[in-house]
Amino acid sequence: MSTLLECRDLVCGYDKPLLQDVNLTVGAHEIVVLLGGSGCGKSTLLRTITGLLPPLSGQVLVFGESLYDLAPEERNQLLRRTGTAFQQDALFGSMSVGENIALPLRELTKLPQSMIKEMVRMKLGLVGLGGFESRLPTQLSGGQRKRAALARATILDPQLVFCDEPSAGLDPVVAASIDETLVQFRDTLGITLVVVTHVIESVRAIADRAVVLAGGRVCAAGTIAELEASTAPEVYGFFHRVPVAPHATPTTRTITRGIT
Amino acid sequence: MPPELATSVERDGRAAVVRLEGDLVVPTARALYTQLQDIARRRDVRSIVIDFARVGRIDSSGVAAVSLVGQQAKRSGRTLELRELGEHHRAAFAMSPRKVEEPPAEPPPTSFEALGDSMIATWDGAKALTSIVKDTTYQGVLVAGRRKQLPAGSVASQLFEMGFNGLFIVSLLAFLIGMTMGFQGVTQLERFGAGVFVADMLGLSMVRELAPLMTAIIITGRTGAAIAAELGTMKVRSEIDALATMGIDPNRFLILPRLLAITIAGPALTLIAMFVGMLGGMLVTSLALDLPAIAYWGRIAESVTLGDFAHGLIKAVLFSWIIAISGSHFGMRATGDPSSVGHATTRTVVVSVLSIILVDAAFATITTIAGGGP
Ligand SMILES: Nc1ncnc2c1ncn2[C@@H]1O[C@H](COP(=O)(O)OP(=O)(O)OP(=O)(O)O)[C@@H](O)[C@H]1O
Ligand SMILES: [Mg+2]
Repeated sequence: MSTLLECRDLVCGYDKPLLQDVNLTVGAHEIVVLLGGSGCGKSTLLRTITGLLPPLSGQVLVFGESLYDLAPEERNQLLRRTGTAFQQDALFGSMSVGENIALPLRELTKLPQSMIKEMVRMKLGLVGLGGFESRLPTQLSGGQRKRAALARATILDPQLVFCDEPSAGLDPVVAASIDETLVQFRDTLGITLVVVTHVIESVRAIADRAVVLAGGRVCAAGTIAELEASTAPEVYGFFHRVPVAPHATPTTRTITRGIT
Repeated sequence: MPPELATSVERDGRAAVVRLEGDLVVPTARALYTQLQDIARRRDVRSIVIDFARVGRIDSSGVAAVSLVGQQAKRSGRTLELRELGEHHRAAFAMSPRKVEEPPAEPPPTSFEALGDSMIATWDGAKALTSIVKDTTYQGVLVAGRRKQLPAGSVASQLFEMGFNGLFIVSLLAFLIGMTMGFQGVTQLERFGAGVFVADMLGLSMVRELAPLMTAIIITGRTGAAIAAELGTMKVRSEIDALATMGIDPNRFLILPRLLAITIAGPALTLIAMFVGMLGGMLVTSLALDLPAIAYWGRIAESVTLGDFAHGLIKAVLFSWIIAISGSHFGMRATGDPSSVGHATTRTVVVSVLSIILVDAAFATITTIAGGGP
């Protein structure tokens, strides 16, 4: 299986390191979930992986190329083969939903207007927003905005898609439909996804593998079955929704660092 | 009925027994707190006892008042005792943490460190400014070389907003300033019988100084602030990040169209301001001096050279760049919270106006020394 994304000894953070020794690989056609408590640095890691926040040390390899060692134009080329849906939807407020989704096509391809329109229509249908082209992002609900953002992130049919909390704060039905869309992306379009979420039902529904972040590092990684069986306190807490694991006294260090 | 709290204080040797009757809630907590503080400060009181037997409700303000007095008493070596606590009183007190673990506070920076911090911030700002100018220029070169394209219609729409929509206010101001200058000129120069020279003075000062400066200041307020606010909002809402992850260069997509549009709109508005300003002056002179319009424009054509127009327009271009670049710079540096967008616009206006006036002064000095004369 080919590797699409790899982090090597990555240290990321803003001024001080937030996550250290991050080593992970993501292969083709899989959905990898990043799990971790609020504020543990999931979005920060994603920003580093998507080229927005240079790492403090270590490397990010996307499609085998070291992202931060490339010249800006080459890095942009590489990023165009990925798509990112942000935690805040980050739709362009001054453009309609259709224009938002069409933007990458308009800017980065030479496709004719009529084809762009058709592709936007198809993609919006796929995320359940058929007919919403001319609405402004402010005229959508939170869940609809997230889905529009997902449509924009995948409009160029990228091989690798990053989603930050696609179903956070949504009702279970909409959340489930987003999960279903993500799985559809993997199965029908062959897209590889890296998804941040802490909705445990979503993890069970979509993830092939999960990476658990806690205490400023990767504390566990594996298939969902492996993690479900784990007794490591941070992992157990997540999968069984308990504040502290029953059998295993975590060190105070990990707890406090996990929640700060 | 508003909640009430009655207190009675009894002395028992060196102890003060405070009996409460009523509710210990937000409307009553403050009065109780002051009263308890007074008691806890009395020299002859060594211990305070609060009797809760007749207390009804207690909310977190009540808990806070009592626990603050407790802390104060403890510091001054007194004791505080709570008596006759009911079940729900205990529950309320149990909610307040015994001892809150405060994260170790960062020591406040020494003045030396603060100086260092602000120098680093200035240095960072300077670096960001240089990179914006460098990257935008580079993107401009790519676009000029047809290797890249500007977003369709972006320059035109910016031009419309900056230029056409600013036309009215710029013209109005130029006209009024021209009139004011006209009045000034007429009253001053008439005394020396040199009334006709008003035209020369008006033409020169409008074309070389007033029109470029005044237009630039209006553009700062309209367009510079708008650029900072637009980019700042996009930054705060991670729209700029979204562009970056799409592999679209924000400098080319957002800044370059604005820079190009302002490079056209700035001088164009300035040129219009020059003529409208002279028109305002003409109105005054023709009324006050009976100077016919033909004669007025004739004098101007004689005294104002093409060089003067070039002087004014070159300044207009420089001023426009100052405005667009500071708007973009401060907008792009907005972070996180919405208030940073406000800061970005304020900074843009202040820094632009200051730089414009400095550049203007420098320009005047250089051209005078270089022998052109004012
Ligand atoms: N721009 C920033 N500058 C400095 N620190 C930041 C910045 N953004 C976030 N942080 C800090 O970095 C830490 C990690 O933030 P991050 O957004 O990665 O958390 P997260 O794991 O995505 O949390 P959540 O699940 O709540 O989204 C937090 O403690 C946060 O306060
Ligand atoms: Mg996050």
